[in-house]
Amino acid sequence: MIRLKKFSYWYPATEQHALDRITLDIPEGQFLGIVGANGAGKSTLCYALSGFVPHFYNGELEGELSFDNTPMAELDLGKLAGQVGLVFQNPFNQISGARFTVREEIAFGLENLGVPRAEMRDRIEEAMELVNIQELAERSPFSVSGGQQQRIAIASILAMQPRVLVLDEPTSQLDPDGTRDVFAALSKLVSTRKITVIIAEHKLEWLATFCDRVIALANGRLRAEGSPQDVLSSEQMLRLGVGRTQYSEAAARLLRSKQLPVTLEQAKKALQ
Amino acid sequence: MNSFRKEFTTLSITLIAVGIALNLALGTVVLRLGLPLYLDSIGTVLVGALVGPWAGAATGFLSNLVWTLTGLYPQAFAWAGVAAIIGALAGAFGRSGWLNSIGKAALAGLITGVVSAVLSAPIATYVFGGVVGAGTDALVAAFRAAGLDALMSNVAQGTFSDPLDKLVTFVVVWSLLLALPAREKARFGNLPATSKERAPRGATRRPAGKTTQKTTKKTARRR
Amino acid sequence: MPSMRGGTIYVEGRSGLHKLHPLTKLALSGLCFACAAALPGLPWLLGMFVLVLMPLAIWGRITRAFLKACLLVVGPFLLSLAIIQGFFHGGDTVLFQLGRFTYTLEGLMAGLLFAARLLVALGGTLLLMQSTDQAQLMQALTERGFPARIAYVVLTAIQIFPSFQDRAQVIMDAQQARGLELQTGALNRARLLLPMVGPLILGSVMDVSERAMALEARGFSSPAQKTSLHSLADSASQRTLRWLLVAAALGLLAWRVGSALA
Repeated sequence: MIRLKKFSYWYPATEQHALDRITLDIPEGQFLGIVGANGAGKSTLCYALSGFVPHFYNGELEGELSFDNTPMAELDLGKLAGQVGLVFQNPFNQISGARFTVREEIAFGLENLGVPRAEMRDRIEEAMELVNIQELAERSPFSVSGGQQQRIAIASILAMQPRVLVLDEPTSQLDPDGTRDVFAALSKLVSTRKITVIIAEHKLEWLATFCDRVIALANGRLRAEGSPQDVLSSEQMLRLGVGRTQYSEAAARLLRSKQLPVTLEQAKKALQ
Repeated sequence: MNSFRKEFTTLSITLIAVGIALNLALGTVVLRLGLPLYLDSIGTVLVGALVGPWAGAATGFLSNLVWTLTGLYPQAFAWAGVAAIIGALAGAFGRSGWLNSIGKAALAGLITGVVSAVLSAPIATYVFGGVVGAGTDALVAAFRAAGLDALMSNVAQGTFSDPLDKLVTFVVVWSLLLALPAREKARFGNLPATSKERAPRGATRRPAGKTTQKTTKKTARRR
Repeated sequence: MPSMRGGTIYVEGRSGLHKLHPLTKLALSGLCFACAAALPGLPWLLGMFVLVLMPLAIWGRITRAFLKACLLVVGPFLLSLAIIQGFFHGGDTVLFQLGRFTYTLEGLMAGLLFAARLLVALGGTLLLMQSTDQAQLMQALTERGFPARIAYVVLTAIQIFPSFQDRAQVIMDAQQARGLELQTGALNRARLLLPMVGPLILGSVMDVSERAMALEARGFSSPAQKTSLHSLADSASQRTLRWLLVAAALGLLAWRVGSALA
């Protein structure tokens, strides 16, 4: 569905590759995780997959980038809006502010797409239910918590019924409660709807649970790809600054220890 | 027309909204401080400087519309035209490089302040009966007592407060522009690069005129 | 302020005034401007306020809020005008003397006349803003060809400025808690304030890219014909009323210009 072939990208007035010869084929319906240290190119790849590179950020590109076999350069953001949805890190910035209640805020994207009113109402209710924010419908989107705002942002995109949902570290600015709520919403999405989901995320435990496939980036290059099991458990992840899940971490510590724990206290200590 | 369109991309429209919000937020907060300054046009001058005269004018005009629409300061709309001119001036000063040095920025602020005072006075005189309904009316009274007529008293009052306010505003914007990464400034495209920023970092790295790049620029303009 | 919406003076309600089509109320505030400019004397202006604006405020169940807003906005003008016009307008009927300055009845009346004009003009605006959801006003305008991008700018600015305001206020309170205010004068306070709100301003400018991208992701540049979630209730009688209000406003202005030329 989205295909990159030796795709490279430079932000304006920079010498350093933001993306360096990336070849990647994302089939319809896949749940893809992107991991990498800060500055590895995760956000830039998210922007490329959703058309913001090259349509929002100027700069230079090489190689191929296509959506549904159409070169991305031939599409524009107006046309892509109902097709690919992008969710960002900062919830505050994603609330358009052009509407006064949560329901109206979700409607904003549908109004722009020209969705008829009756259908709009159904889609809004469905999206709110999916991320569990029905009780916020009449509240101001500025009067709710960060985690709730992020779910409003996700619902606003989901209501547009995109075929691809791209999430760029959607929980990085949220507290543990907010993070859990957002991932609960995503897991519901995976089980109820067949859309392509691409998520860049540091919280590897969650990726391991959801993703069909994980890719690892470093310095704008694709360094590893495969099943979450294969990629996230590899030694390479430590070198790339990705780290590993807390479970792998505990297990690794256990493997390193000379003696196996025998009491509950020891086990707790060893696994922590 | 082309330069007009270029100043109203989605990116600059968003910046204009943020600029207006800054005007209102700082304007109300500074009001509570009881300073002899308004500082309610930092957003206007910043947007003008970054994006250009049209965007600056729109920020100024719409700020006053929003002051009216919120009901916090309903009379503001009477001065919307003056606010637009302040924004346009900021755009012109920004484009011509005056906001790259503190001295020129201060001078630009003074000039803008005088223009603002001269344009505001007739509005206060003929629409509001020679007052603005604020503490500065004491100055108007003093000038009237000294023998100036209604219009000149308002000009004099304006010249007392506006140039200082705009000087401070422009110097603040100068310092903000100094702190803003070159990449951010380049994105909006009004300010000329300073000599330091102009350093040819990899400018010749790859041949210009690649087809991909051209498409990008075209789309960007349409946005 | 209990029912503020995004830092505005809108008072939520379900009254008949609230339910009027936004453009009907806009036309009414237009008529108020025409009245303020054209009505010949104090009785006419006060009559307009007491017999038209006040009953509307009562109908909208916003009487207290309306009067309070009028007082807050027009009060300072009234004070300034009474002083400046009273002393400097000139006239023969001296009310009292202050040093070499005389305060005249004619001046006082001129000041009151100006204040009454402002009361009618700004009162009409305040009534519109207190009884109308800004989003509905913008929707009504965009449905008639007003640019949707300007509506976005206006509504978003209205909604995000309170959060900027809160952040700036927090910075200032922190500064005051440290006693900086006590030791320095007003200008020094400003000088200390600016480096502190600087990061707030810079941060909001650097967030603009993400904000704009989020907007594009919501179809802001979509070529489709826009629709809207809510429909605005309108009626044939309101449409007629709007035309009458506009005609009355234009008629008043024409009459005023005509009599000024004659």
